[in-house]
Amino acid sequence: MEKLSSVGQFEWLRNRILSKTTKDKPVVHVCMTGCRAYGSASVKDALVEEVKKQGLSETVEIRSTGCHGFCAKAPVIAIEPLGIQYQEVAPEDAAEITALTLKKNQLIERLAYKDPKTNVPIYHLDQIPFYARQEKRVLKRCGRIDPTRVEDYIAAGGYQAIVKALTKMNPDQVIEEVISAGIGGRGGAGFPTGLKWKFARGAAGQPKYIICNADEGDPGAFMDRAMLEGDPHAVLEGMLIGAYAIGALNGYIYVREEYPIAVEHLNIAIDQLKELGLLGENILGMGFDLELSLKMGAGAFVCGEETALMASIEGKRGMPSAKPPFPAQEGLDRKPSNINNVETFANIPLIIDNGAAWYREVGTEKSKGTKIFSLAGKVNNTGLVEVPIGVTIKDVVFEIGGGIPQGREFKAVQMGGPSGGCVPKQFLNLPIDYDTLQKIGAIMGSGGMVVMDENNCMVEIARFFLSFTQSESCGKCAPCRLGTTQLLKILTKIVNGEGRMEDIQTIKELGETITATSLCGLGQTCAKPAISTLKYFTKEYEDHIKEKRCAGAVCDSMVISACQHACPAGIDVPNYVAAISCGNYEQAVDIIRERNPFPAVCGRICIHPCETKCRRGELDEAVAIRTLKRFASDWYFENIGMAKKPFPVTRSEKVAVVGAGPAGLTCAYFLSQMGYKVKVFESQKIGGGMLGFAVPEFRLPREVIQEEISYIESCGIDVCYDTPIDAKHTVNDLLREGFAAVFIAAGAQASKQVGIPGEELALEGLSYGLQFLTDIRLGKNITLGGKVIVIGGGNVAFDTARTALRVGAQDVHIYYRRGIEEMPAWEKDIEEAVEEGVIINPFWSPGKIIHHNGKVTGIEFIGSKAVLEPDGTSYIKVEKDRTLKVDADEIIISIGQAPDSSFISEESQLERSLWGSLEVDNNSLTTNVEGIFAGGDYITGPTTVISAIASGRRAAIAIDKYLLGEKSPISIIDEKTKFEENAGLALDEETTGEKPRIKIEIENPVTRIKDFREVEKGFTEDQARLEAGRCLRCDLEEK
Amino acid sequence: MNSTEIDWETFSDIIEKHRNKKWGLIPLLQDVQERFGYVPPESIESIAEALNLSSSHVQGVITFYAGFSTEPRGRCVLKVCRGTACHVKGAKNILRIIQKDLDLQEGETSPDYQFTLETAACLGACFLAPAMMVDREYYGKLNPTKVTSVLGEYRKETGEE
Repeated sequence: MEKLSSVGQFEWLRNRILSKTTKDKPVVHVCMTGCRAYGSASVKDALVEEVKKQGLSETVEIRSTGCHGFCAKAPVIAIEPLGIQYQEVAPEDAAEITALTLKKNQLIERLAYKDPKTNVPIYHLDQIPFYARQEKRVLKRCGRIDPTRVEDYIAAGGYQAIVKALTKMNPDQVIEEVISAGIGGRGGAGFPTGLKWKFARGAAGQPKYIICNADEGDPGAFMDRAMLEGDPHAVLEGMLIGAYAIGALNGYIYVREEYPIAVEHLNIAIDQLKELGLLGENILGMGFDLELSLKMGAGAFVCGEETALMASIEGKRGMPSAKPPFPAQEGLDRKPSNINNVETFANIPLIIDNGAAWYREVGTEKSKGTKIFSLAGKVNNTGLVEVPIGVTIKDVVFEIGGGIPQGREFKAVQMGGPSGGCVPKQFLNLPIDYDTLQKIGAIMGSGGMVVMDENNCMVEIARFFLSFTQSESCGKCAPCRLGTTQLLKILTKIVNGEGRMEDIQTIKELGETITATSLCGLGQTCAKPAISTLKYFTKEYEDHIKEKRCAGAVCDSMVISACQHACPAGIDVPNYVAAISCGNYEQAVDIIRERNPFPAVCGRICIHPCETKCRRGELDEAVAIRTLKRFASDWYFENIGMAKKPFPVTRSEKVAVVGAGPAGLTCAYFLSQMGYKVKVFESQKIGGGMLGFAVPEFRLPREVIQEEISYIESCGIDVCYDTPIDAKHTVNDLLREGFAAVFIAAGAQASKQVGIPGEELALEGLSYGLQFLTDIRLGKNITLGGKVIVIGGGNVAFDTARTALRVGAQDVHIYYRRGIEEMPAWEKDIEEAVEEGVIINPFWSPGKIIHHNGKVTGIEFIGSKAVLEPDGTSYIKVEKDRTLKVDADEIIISIGQAPDSSFISEESQLERSLWGSLEVDNNSLTTNVEGIFAGGDYITGPTTVISAIASGRRAAIAIDKYLLGEKSPISIIDEKTKFEENAGLALDEETTGEKPRIKIEIENPVTRIKDFREVEKGFTEDQARLEAGRCLRCDLEEK
Repeated sequence: MNSTEIDWETFSDIIEKHRNKKWGLIPLLQDVQERFGYVPPESIESIAEALNLSSSHVQGVITFYAGFSTEPRGRCVLKVCRGTACHVKGAKNILRIIQKDLDLQEGETSPDYQFTLETAACLGACFLAPAMMVDREYYGKLNPTKVTSVLGEYRKETGEE
């Protein structure tokens, strides 16, 4: 390349490059930066080879480019001018791509992006949701040009902005343009770039320096890396313009040594510019001089701080210094200096080229333009994303990011790395801009967004960040050096299960002090991760301290294996799964019963938190723990049946339990195991509570619950049916009759009323879900016809709708006032209901019941919608003018249940809670009356069967402690079973990735709604043993 | 060549390249580190002399930056990422497996100078999480099987096993 000595020569070069570019020539863009770790280099080689072999070398260009953004699907390639993208391309695909797509314009379905829901292929890049929602301005060329060829950059319009600045604008005009564009520094704080330049220009002293901060050190951020690797000239052009504007003669790019490709591409780019005369003296003959050089960092995070960075360039320890003086006054070499971040510089050519007005078209009132984010962590579409400032966090995480893998629950997104904070779920609808994020305790930061799901522990995340800042603190100022050490110590104590409640206050106070007194940004912001997690996830801190429970099931000190910790009852899952894999089914059931006397029930209807946390799920899919439990317990009842002998009675005290639901029976079972004589009082004719008379047969067959109750009875527990505890026979009477303690587990079975006109009339065709289910379950002959409307979104609503279908309803509609995602019902039940033909109508609130001659004829709904609060939370608002009249033959209301305390006599001293239950201590389940305990759904409101079981066991432990006179709080920790099973399973195997989860078969929806047969089929013995073999035995891992 | 032996001729070439250069200390140390895998403590004085600095200044800079070490490092330097994205995706377990496999703790070098195990604050390869670097190559989406096979590669490359 010849040196260009005038603008005319540059134009000539540009025209020459353009004339050589054949439009419509097929170009294959292969990402050779991020995708390199996935073997894109061999993909590229294979393509070059294949194109040559098939005689297309002359007509097709295979181009090495930077990042395409969709890193989750690496290696990716794009084919222009078709505009298509292929994903997860392997070298073996090269022949087919060449023969079909490049030669014949035929598309290859196998390599296309597939819609995760419909599996429909999407070929065109701009139609893939990941790209469709983005606004690529700064990243426009990244992934399309070869970053090592300056010709590509020039052909794509590069270096036009510096030419425009040099020829048509004076430095002040450049600065004015940047100011009026309203761009804030992309490094994190968002300080107006134009103003910064103005200060530097106005500062006295020569020479001036322009510095690019490419020391991208925030864990979780890789935007600058992608920018430098994929389009380094854009950054250099920005620096040229900046240098011209402030009058700098020297420039430095301070880049991390951990970015070898970025360093390589920058070096190439700088050499090219020198060759072209775009760096050096008298650039383009315009009398503008600039020398640029690259400085590599040496591995110190604090050097991202501007004063530390300058110290590092000067060859000193990278320690920050107090401001003022600001770099603009006294920076590098004590001369006026201006530091901007990589992305800020990359924005500058856009502003000069297109003008401030164009630039301001996107963004918010206060912050203009776009922002690049690196999306990582627990999100499907990890990658590089550019969006207008002001889009919501939800858009980025769910629309572009495609949500959370494995259908797990979103917990928070960490923004701004160690200087930032966590944004919890309630703020998902907030716009991403500097001010809003600041307000809720996070920051925009450089743009790292790390998504966390329910399997992450927020205390541990805070500890993680503090361990980072503590080790990166330069040690110059005491608040940061000592403060981070102390904060880390406290947080470590808490995750180690040794925390105290006072620690929470100490974290807050210490955090405030460090923030107020530290010298530089590192210290001033280091407490943020702790403060923000503490603010939004206080309960997680408290649970670690008080209950030794970790919501994410990750803290080693309290977690043996994630599945066991996730189980409210704490069942030793890996060991019973291992027992099943070895064929020891009896032992498997024994292990389950150590914590849960309802294995067959839970094998069917448990919401299985264990599977959600299963570590195998990180590899492919979670182990089908619930179905394994069902297999073992079905085998048990078929082959063994009842207990061989009752538990021996070794204690003199007798205990009474009120209610034979899962909580009551579990409590009775464990007390009996401890040697107490227990009597259970049940008002109904059958036991099991909701399991016995509400959960429909097609989910839980009658004989299953019956067997389970009979087994518990066979252990020596006396259950008295049809024996209500009420005003005639009170709880106090029980104490008087010689029971040393009473456990009340009366359930939550009073149907809530909607409170709409018509509901108060005893209309024919109007009923409540729970009553309807009970009638059917207890054998009442009910047939429905015509159109049935079910109101509600919980489990009972769905059971009701599906039962209605099975007793003759032609048409079943569910109406719910919120969105489908917000329905409390179990996702699996919603899916099965839809399969069976239940139609779900979200966002309709019941208005009034329409009736004629004492009979229901229809119902009027009022539209509702979710309304966002300024703080990002939402509530449901009814829209009075939007109504919907629906004909109906039956209306079944199922909007929830509440406890019914009417059985407790008026004069009882038991202290009631606000919502009709009793006040109890959460740890010991004690009421205000000595010897009386209460738990289960009765206390918590309707929950899950496994929570009720856990509550029952807690009550048994509490009552035992009470009767033994022990006063210490209850601590239920994870324990290994005494029936240790030593099968190593998958841990010993060479290949862990090759065994997919065994599909659970279900009955055909068309035939299954004809009767009450069980929808789900269990595993066969072979299937069960195979599936059990997928367990990774995390419990055996050395901690 | 045994990595603990220093080729002093190459060393003085590096010194001469940077002699008396303004702000030349870090680039000089980077060259030495790159070439020898460490900055030999006995070289500190000549480095200081070449740049007109005090030995304590040179020593201070070496100890401040994680990129410099005064002990010889292995032929393959493993950097396991402990960045946020890797952390939430289980980097801790990956590190544990590597530690067990190589029988090395963080910062240690194997007696045969084959491997040095380090961790990095963030490799900026979050989309690959959990990730590590061996020398200048990135390895991502690590799981136990993949870790074993990557380590195997580097053992094989130098004829071990």
